[in-house]
Amino acid sequence: MIPFARDGELVTARFTPGERELLEALARQLVALLEERAAESPADVLYAQLGIGGPSAPPLDPAMARLLPDAYRGDAGAASEHRRLTELGLVDRKVANALAVIRTVSTKVAVLDQGDVQAWLRHLTDLRLVLAARLQIEDDGDEGNGDEGMLDLYDWLGYLQGTLVEVIE
Amino acid sequence: MAEVLEDVELRSETLSDQPWVTIVWNDPVNLMNYVSYVFRSYFGHSAQEADRLMLLVHNEGRAVVASGGREDMERHVEAMHDFGLWATLAKEGS
Repeated sequence: MIPFARDGELVTARFTPGERELLEALARQLVALLEERAAESPADVLYAQLGIGGPSAPPLDPAMARLLPDAYRGDAGAASEHRRLTELGLVDRKVANALAVIRTVSTKVAVLDQGDVQAWLRHLTDLRLVLAARLQIEDDGDEGNGDEGMLDLYDWLGYLQGTLVEVIE
Repeated sequence: MAEVLEDVELRSETLSDQPWVTIVWNDPVNLMNYVSYVFRSYFGHSAQEADRLMLLVHNEGRAVVASGGREDMERHVEAMHDFGLWATLAKEGS
C-alpha cells in the first residue's frame, strides 16, 4: 500500500507502528553519525555559530564521505577550503531533516507540509546513501554484499522515496 | 591606439568572466524520478529538460547542469549535496 497521499498543499503518511519505529530508529542513527562527524571539528564557538570552521579533510567512513562529498575533483586545496567553510552547515541541515522526520513520524497519520516533504525527500536519500555504502553498492546494477535484510530496507526506502516524488508531482 | 586598448579590455573581460560549471555525477543510489525532480524544483528546468539532463547523468556518467560564476556554482553544488546528489564544480572545459 502506498503510504503517502496528497491532501491539497499537504501530504499525509500512514505507516504501521513497526514502520514508524523503524523510521525513527534509522533517523536517530543518522543523527548520531552526523553529530559524531561534527564533533571531530575543532570547537571554535564563533566559527561554529557562523556554520564555518569545519573539518578540511573528507570523512574516512565511505558512507559519511558520500553524504559529505568534495565539491571539487582533482583540486585538493579548493576541496579542502570549501569543506572547511561549508561542511558544518551541510551537517546541520541533514540533522534538521532527520529531526523533522522523527517529529512527523511520531503520530499515527503524519501530516507533512511542504517543508516537511523536502526534509523527508532529503532524509530518505541520505539513509539510502549510507545503506548503499554499507552494502557496497557502487555501480548501477550492483546488488549488494549479501545482507538481505539491509537490502530489503534499502529497497523499501527507495520505494518510499519514489512514491513520495510521485505524490507531489 | 584606441583600438589596441579596446582589445585589451575585451581580453581581460573574457578572462574574468571565465565560466564555471556545476557537474552532477551518476550514482547507483538516486532514483531517476528524484533526480529529475531535483533538476525541475531547484533549477526551474522544464520537465523535458530535467529528464534530458537526468538521462545524460544516467547514460554518460555526468552532466553539466548549470554554468556561471564560481560563487553561484559553489552554491549550486552545496544545494545538490543537500539533496544527496553527487555534484562538483569546475572551470568550464577543464
